[in-house]
Amino acid sequence: MNRIKKFLSDHPWIAKYSFVYGFLAIPLAFYLIFYLFPNILSVYYSFMKWSGLSDPKFIGLQNYTRLFNDPFFYRSLTHNFVLMLLVPIVTLSLALILAFFLARGQSKRHDLLQALFFVPNIISSVVIGLLWAFIYNGDFGLLNALFGLIGIDMDGFWWLGNTDTALLALVPVYVWVNVGFYTLIFTNAIKGIPDSLYESAILEGATEGQILRKIVIPMIMGVISVSALFLVLMTFRSYDLVLILTGGGPGGATQVVGLYMFSMVFQILGTAARTPSYGYASAIGIILFIILIVAKFIIDKLTKTDDIEF
Amino acid sequence: MKKRNSIFAEIILSVWAGLIVLPLIWIVYVSLKTNYEFYLDPWALPESLQFSNYTNAITTLNLGPVFLNTIYFVFGGLILGVTVNTMAAYILTRLEWKGKKFILGVIMLSLFLPGINILVPQYVLAVFFKLNNSLTGLILLINVALSAFDILLMSSFMRSIPKELEESARMDGASLWIIFWKIIFPLSMPGIITISIFRFLNLYNDFINPFIYLTDPSKHTVAVSVYYANTVLRYTSNYVTLFAAIVVSLVPTLVVYAIFQKRVVAGATIGAVKG
Repeated sequence: MNRIKKFLSDHPWIAKYSFVYGFLAIPLAFYLIFYLFPNILSVYYSFMKWSGLSDPKFIGLQNYTRLFNDPFFYRSLTHNFVLMLLVPIVTLSLALILAFFLARGQSKRHDLLQALFFVPNIISSVVIGLLWAFIYNGDFGLLNALFGLIGIDMDGFWWLGNTDTALLALVPVYVWVNVGFYTLIFTNAIKGIPDSLYESAILEGATEGQILRKIVIPMIMGVISVSALFLVLMTFRSYDLVLILTGGGPGGATQVVGLYMFSMVFQILGTAARTPSYGYASAIGIILFIILIVAKFIIDKLTKTDDIEF
Repeated sequence: MKKRNSIFAEIILSVWAGLIVLPLIWIVYVSLKTNYEFYLDPWALPESLQFSNYTNAITTLNLGPVFLNTIYFVFGGLILGVTVNTMAAYILTRLEWKGKKFILGVIMLSLFLPGINILVPQYVLAVFFKLNNSLTGLILLINVALSAFDILLMSSFMRSIPKELEESARMDGASLWIIFWKIIFPLSMPGIITISIFRFLNLYNDFINPFIYLTDPSKHTVAVSVYYANTVLRYTSNYVTLFAAIVVSLVPTLVVYAIFQKRVVAGATIGAVKG
């Protein structure tokens, strides 16, 4: 042991490289094998027919032709687009208003409110999913009870069990989870606007609404557009809340592409068991990959021109 | 902006605060009712507090062993992941060596990749390396790999440590290993705490990974266990027990958030680059 120590202190170059590579080797190998290589592997599997049991069989582009003719895939994609459109609009409008009021308040109480708004971000998707399943419950849900208070009898109406309402019922869940984070981002941005910009508006007796529309929104437009794109990407990719809330049901009414891919390989409770289809799942994954990479390129272009500290 | 808010503004803020808090309070007080009271009127306050719901939840859902699994999964992963990435941040940002730029580039590539397409092939590989259906296997799968997010965050904290400290230690003949543990590690504490909190929250709240990889119920973590409890207790209409289980599962995250709220919020804004 001492001889090794002496050897290493006599040869600092060897000591350094054995330290660097000796330490990095395993974490780097794990990263390459389990996080980078699967990207390549997913391309390979997308050309295969494979149930996970027998050997994979090369079938060329058949998974992709199946995908482009799969009504379930298109239906899921439509649902993704509905969520991608509605969730950011509602979330960001709400976050903007809340942030505006928080930034104007600037008291201890407002700091506390901000911390409170952030709470859904630290709760697990399982708890959020179950909580909202109870809110939408037909027998004892909070939402139907609220309708009851204003004299509308919705008893026995299952918001997540009805094909007409299930997809739209997902929107408030995403909004509830995400508003706090974007309120935080916007509050910081609004606090950065120099006071001098407001002075003339305040002197002229501008209302809160006018200040928000005419000064605040134009000043932080860069932050808003980047947030919108981040939220679009996040909504497009996410499926865990849907998995917990509805499992894609009823009858595929809330199926999203990520969950559709997931269900090709993994069993979701409450759905019929099917033979795993690794090849088809990978083809769906590749399509998702392409959509998300293109969207990311657009974001990078926009963030560069606007130089926002995100 | 020094102007005070209108009453309307304060009302809007309070309404949203209510929408966040009231559902959570509702879960807590339902968890203290009897099932009969719950079905009679889900809104009414409980006649007497049924703490037995909690003992029921703990026994019927086996929450004792489940929490032991969770503690192992979360803290095992946390110690491993934070050590690996702190050390990697030191090597990748404060030492000069051949190949550094290239390896850093390869790691940062993960910030650009969407990641959703790796779910299935990653599962195939994990099964091939026999990491599935084992808590230790899952800990290794999630935490050993270098994390671009942690390395970026740690290097921003390490940048402020003066180089002279390292150099004088090297003059005294200290090895890199000693320098890391005696100088860099203690001086990087603020960063280490931040990445630890995020890893804690991510591991504790992780549902998809334990759901996919831990098929044996005796290995379940809290998140998965509550998910399955929902399907079981729903059919037996034992909602109050389910609510109690949800409250129990919420406590650790809420406590961590209450203690480290400032760091979580500050870290979250940095974390936005991850998106």
